[in-house]
Amino acid sequence: MNFEELQKIWDTQNKQTLYAINETAMYNHIMQKQRQARHITHVSELLTMIVNAGVGIFIAITNATSNRTSIALYVLSAWLIACAVFILRGRIQRLHGNRQFDRSMNGELAHALAVATQQVKHSRLMRLNILPIAILLLLGLWETDKPIWIAGATAALFLLSYYASGWEHNLYENRRRSLENLQSSLTQNATPTDISNIKPQ
Amino acid sequence: MTEAEQKQIFETWIAQYKGLLFKVIRAYATDAMDRDDLFQEITIQVWRSVPAFRHESAVTTWLYRIALNTAMKWTRSERRHDHTNDLEHAQHIIHENDLPADDRLAWLYNEIHKLDGIDRSITLLLLDGFSYKEMAGILGITESNVGVKINRIKKHLAAQSKEYERHEL
Repeated sequence: MNFEELQKIWDTQNKQTLYAINETAMYNHIMQKQRQARHITHVSELLTMIVNAGVGIFIAITNATSNRTSIALYVLSAWLIACAVFILRGRIQRLHGNRQFDRSMNGELAHALAVATQQVKHSRLMRLNILPIAILLLLGLWETDKPIWIAGATAALFLLSYYASGWEHNLYENRRRSLENLQSSLTQNATPTDISNIKPQ
Repeated sequence: MTEAEQKQIFETWIAQYKGLLFKVIRAYATDAMDRDDLFQEITIQVWRSVPAFRHESAVTTWLYRIALNTAMKWTRSERRHDHTNDLEHAQHIIHENDLPADDRLAWLYNEIHKLDGIDRSITLLLLDGFSYKEMAGILGITESNVGVKINRIKKHLAAQSKEYERHEL
């Protein structure tokens, strides 16, 4: 079959549509997704900021009012508050960010790739952030003479969260790689033989 | 733009150009669940795109661009990951019409589905009669690059159709 014949086969579907749409369900779904998307981003950012700042302030207050104060716990408190500020900065940048990509497939892929790269960087940073927090907390426990089993359980919890965040990081990394492959497949250069075979339209 | 205006434009687009969206979902998704899911994703993107439409291109070009961009980034794993607990999944948005089976069209879709994501998009645009220039605009690559890819696709489809015809005989 030549291409014109293939096109005739293709055009047969223009007479009758293959599917029927449940319009009420479609509209409800769109409205629900719109609310969900706004809600998830907003709540997750706010929650992370509140937890970091709240825990930081709580540690600072309990450390200041206890009999044995710990320098490591003060540093940890400042570190957590700094994390909350960092997330706030990211939120402001996101809200004021301008889309600088065109709407072609290549532009959309570039945009998706930029978002995915940002997610990869963010998840790597959050994963590495577990290390200073764990070290400072363990130092604080040691300075305040807490029992060894508490330090052991804390270290185990941090190891677990480090492992879990690695799994999340790999998800983002795989997503980024697949987008990179798509983009390179779209923009890959033509070979001289291919170019010589092009027929004018 | 008010939500009522957005809804009116969206409904007009869907009513007039649903056939175009169905072609994209059939080329990218294989089973009924996937088609339903991809259709939902595409309609969400179309809805969001309504306020951004500036009449600089034809509506068909605009919708093809959105549908193909969404389909390219959509994967089955995302569906399982994102929507496992969604209640709306109990309610299907599209249903197959009871039409007589067209073996040759089914074969063509099957061949398109075997191509990689980018070539699939180019084949759909080519079969729907878009020019090299329009395709280059939709894909964001040069016309010569489009030409190279089309040349390869046409050769591939011609070879596959020979196989199909031999098998049919």
